[in-house]
Amino acid sequence: MHKVKASNLTRLIGFVLLGLVLFFVSNRVDELRVYQGASVAMYVVAISSIILLTGYSGQVSLGHGALLAVGGYGAALVRNEFNAPVWLCFAAAVLLAALWGALLGATAARLSGPYLAGTTLALAVGLPSIANQFKFLGGEQGLIFDIGLPPASLGEFFSQYKWFFWIAALTALIAMWWLQNLLRSRYGRTWRAVRSQSVAAELAGINLARSKILAFTVSAGLAGLAGALLSMSISTVSPGAFPLSLSFALATGAVLSGVTTLGGVIIGAVTLVAIPEVADTLTQSIGASENVIANLPGLMVSGLLIVAVLFVPNGPVEQLKHRQKR
Amino acid sequence: MFQLLNTVLIGITAGSIYSLMAIAMVLVWRSTRVVNFAQAGMALLSTYFGYEIIHMSGSYWLALPIAMLAGAAVAAAIELIFMRLLLKHSSQGAIASIAPIIATLGLLGLIKSIIGYFWGNQDVTIDSPFSNVGFTLGSHTLALSPMKLFILLAVVFLTLVLSLIFQKTNLGLALRASAYSPEISRLAGIKVDLVRTFGWSLAGAAGGAAGMLQTANGNGTLSPDSLEFSLLLAFGFIAAVIGGLDSLIGAVLGALLLGLVLAFVLTYVGGSLVFITAFVLLLVVLLIRPGGIISQKAGRRA
Repeated sequence: MHKVKASNLTRLIGFVLLGLVLFFVSNRVDELRVYQGASVAMYVVAISSIILLTGYSGQVSLGHGALLAVGGYGAALVRNEFNAPVWLCFAAAVLLAALWGALLGATAARLSGPYLAGTTLALAVGLPSIANQFKFLGGEQGLIFDIGLPPASLGEFFSQYKWFFWIAALTALIAMWWLQNLLRSRYGRTWRAVRSQSVAAELAGINLARSKILAFTVSAGLAGLAGALLSMSISTVSPGAFPLSLSFALATGAVLSGVTTLGGVIIGAVTLVAIPEVADTLTQSIGASENVIANLPGLMVSGLLIVAVLFVPNGPVEQLKHRQKR
Repeated sequence: MFQLLNTVLIGITAGSIYSLMAIAMVLVWRSTRVVNFAQAGMALLSTYFGYEIIHMSGSYWLALPIAMLAGAAVAAAIELIFMRLLLKHSSQGAIASIAPIIATLGLLGLIKSIIGYFWGNQDVTIDSPFSNVGFTLGSHTLALSPMKLFILLAVVFLTLVLSLIFQKTNLGLALRASAYSPEISRLAGIKVDLVRTFGWSLAGAAGGAAGMLQTANGNGTLSPDSLEFSLLLAFGFIAAVIGGLDSLIGAVLGALLLGLVLAFVLTYVGGSLVFITAFVLLLVVLLIRPGGIISQKAGRRA
């Protein structure tokens, strides 16, 4: 018991140290890197929501882009209607997405494998077109989500992007700390039990449906938070910001990170942010044609996904551990 | 009255194209137990091959069979290169149940990028071989044009051929046996791997036909990001699930039901609700009859 507490404290200190390092780094690098840092923080939250769902609770969702959209719209609506402070917008995003997640989860708990994948995929295809239909969601243009200028006390040279990064990084750190605690708790153990041996778990007194719905709800809440972060960094929320390819990119990120290791999440997040830039550098250095420029990022995402599924199906971290054991 | 008749006609035509996609899904599911989310991408790629043929020879009639052959070849190649590797590498751990889903999604993205590279992301057009102007009955125009009539006949013909292959030939028997129990089929001397490749190529051909017909049925434009193919992907899957992933007849019935329901919603309620209707229909069927509308056993899920 004592040991558990100590390691909990160590992890908390680790997270705080990581936050401090990020804080100092953000003061040293240029604007573009700071902005990319905010994107990485967003992807960390989004991918970890999929890792929680797939790796820990054994469900699969191809429609998390839709849940991100729910969070983004929720945050923007609360901001625009009530002029709420930023943290309240984020809380609203989490709650709204979690509510949708609970509804979806109640259905999802009865489905498995390809059926669940197809249903969530259908949701991701359909949801943006639904957002187009309602006036209060702003149609094709969407809504503005403006969190305002950074506070004046930070000095006049403090840029908007750095403000985004601070908010996103702090949110991601808090979310990750909370999530890794959750996964070590009774709930985390329950989810893993359900994933690996559902019959045995049921015999041990676990309510399968409730456990799966809870996992879906928490995962949706995290996805909503990521959606709010995404909308914050582009200052708007519109159907076009949540295409099917976003859902696929998140699935790719989760597979690259390794679906069973929360710690690997940074690998997937950094890769997703790096791909457009790597593609850009490549196309510029070889002077590629328009078709290549438009399609190289997509090609790299799908190519990585296939390579990862074929050769490191359980993620690089797990693969290394496995090799060391042997 | 005429509106009702036209709605039914539109529903049946759309449904018949979905049914080809649904059949393709069922064939792959029955031969490898994989739901192929790359199906729409494969259909799109075959349609582009068809477009090339039309571009060179000017004949839709030459393009249609060649697109189907191309679809079969692409599908067979995918099965040989990716699916066999996948079954070998990712059959254990937390990923095992979702690896095929993720892999076919990756393939979908890969195919789209490849198409974008060779043909660009702009629209290209295919001219319909028949007129798309509806027949007239008195003073009314029916929603049945020579093109739509051809689509219906083509789909009926292809469905019949595929069901005959599946139900009445030794090859079809081998297909069903390998899906039911690969181990026992191997003992009985069936080359399971080869049979699976064959199942995939049949599905690829059906997908190619669906792509060619869908493009000619719509406004004739084709692009890697076209909504039509996202819809083929989603509706093909929904139709296959409504019918139960295990049954060819079920896939056809599911697709027709989906096409009709969507046509009625489109005519009488409004275009904005089409997608949500399809989604609700899918959920209702999954919750009430998880094995599809014509299944006998209740509760079968994977």
